[in-house]
Amino acid sequence: MEQVLIFRLGGEWFGLEISRIQEIVEEPRLDYVPRSPDWLTGAMNLHGSIIPVLDLALYLGIATMAPPGRVVVLAPVVAILAIGVSDVYRIVRFAPETFLPSAEEDNRRHHIAALYEYEGLVINMLDVVSLSASLQSI
Amino acid sequence: MRIGISHKFTMGFIIVVASIVGLNLLVPLLGLDQYWWHQLFSVTGALLVGLVMGALFSRIFTNNIRILREAAERISSGDLSQTVRLSETLFPDETYDLGQSLNKVNDNLRRLVGSVRESSRRVADSAKGLSATAEEMTASSHDLSNTVEQISRGAENQADTIEKTTRLIREMAMNTELVASSAHKVSEAVDLSVQTAQQGGETARQTMERMMQILSDVEKSGAQVVTFGARVQKIGKIVEVINNVAQKTNLLALNATIEAARAGEYGRGFAVVAEEIRKLADSTTESAGEISSLISQIQEEGQGVERSLRSSIDEMAAGKKAIDLTSTAFAEIIDTALNTQVKATSIAELSQRQIEGANEMVAAVDEISQVVSDNAAATQEGSAATQQQSAAMEEMAHAAQDLATYAENLLEQVKRFRLENSTTAD
Repeated sequence: MEQVLIFRLGGEWFGLEISRIQEIVEEPRLDYVPRSPDWLTGAMNLHGSIIPVLDLALYLGIATMAPPGRVVVLAPVVAILAIGVSDVYRIVRFAPETFLPSAEEDNRRHHIAALYEYEGLVINMLDVVSLSASLQSI
Repeated sequence: MRIGISHKFTMGFIIVVASIVGLNLLVPLLGLDQYWWHQLFSVTGALLVGLVMGALFSRIFTNNIRILREAAERISSGDLSQTVRLSETLFPDETYDLGQSLNKVNDNLRRLVGSVRESSRRVADSAKGLSATAEEMTASSHDLSNTVEQISRGAENQADTIEKTTRLIREMAMNTELVASSAHKVSEAVDLSVQTAQQGGETARQTMERMMQILSDVEKSGAQVVTFGARVQKIGKIVEVINNVAQKTNLLALNATIEAARAGEYGRGFAVVAEEIRKLADSTTESAGEISSLISQIQEEGQGVERSLRSSIDEMAAGKKAIDLTSTAFAEIIDTALNTQVKATSIAELSQRQIEGANEMVAAVDEISQVVSDNAAATQEGSAATQQQSAAMEEMAHAAQDLATYAENLLEQVKRFRLENSTTAD
């Protein structure tokens, strides 16, 4: 069983395994990073480490009503990166075999590894490895 | 010395005889011798004396008789202008007496005729004057008669006019009575109006008091609602804090779950606790949300209450203004009604006086009518009297004319008497 954090980007629901998460932060103080793309919201200081914050909705091209309300800091083994999301919902337990395969297009463009259904909601499982790779390729 | 005719004859005879005798005595003295001469002389002398004496005497006597006859003829022909004048003599006789008597007759006749003539002239003049006066009086009485008839007709017209006047005055009096009774009714109606307006004013004041009471109550309620709203807002803030705490708790629970997962088997119990905390935080958030929605409902309703209170206050202010206006209007109505009452009362009094005046006028006009009918009767009587007078005058004029005619006749009759030489031309 895998524990997955369900969070929201605009009107879409996403999921991320908590083994890839360091911590969830509520509206941290962000410092502006000069000459950065607009989806790089700024940089935050977490327990002395400077971590860039990504506006994931903006990066993935998902329309949102408000700027990110929560910041999910990824585990340092995955990437030195935090992602701004609209809201976090809860942590649920998924069996990986209940994942539905995602379309190849979605996987490439939106870094979605798989789909999962939870209480009538379609949860897009975020592929942080693919995301991190796409970021590093820029 | 008066000697009668008979004596004169006697004396003549005596003188003749004496002369015969004397001559017979004288002849011898003449120297005539012859007898026959003697006789002749004596006879001739006696004849001469007789002839002379007779001629003288008869001449005087005849002359006197002629004068007397002429005088008598003059008198009979109406000439009374001359007196009988016999030749002067030393021995007047009966012819003188007759002349004196004729003179007396002449004088008496002259006086009589003069007085008759004078009287008849005066009578004629008077008759003329009388006739003229009678004619004038007749004309005057005709005029008077006409005038009296006009007066009579005028009096009839006057009577008609007075009747009309009386009728008009009675109608006026009736109308005035109507006015007076209307004024009384107006006065009573005004009394009612004043009472009603006073009641209305009292009611308006009571309404105003109640409204002020309600207004202060409403203002109190408004203040309470505002206070309530403020408290509810405080509750809302508290709920916000609770919600915030719950979300933070939720976040902490999530982080605790992540930590527990990282701890592996050792963190399993901790993960359960974190899950329980997350559930508590969720239900807290849920309750806080319910409270929030309740608070927003309460706030909405409170705002509605406030709005309705404010509009109530506004409406009450408008109502207060309306009641103020109503009170003023009632006061004005009372003022106007009292003025109207005073006017109506004075109209009623004036009408009463007018009615009295009209009654007096009717009485006066009745008196005038009485006088006018009396006048008309008197005028008719006067007309009759005038007509009688006119007829009498005409008769009198006729009589005066007759009198004048008689006087003229009389004058004509006495005209043939001549009284004086100078007036013989009359």
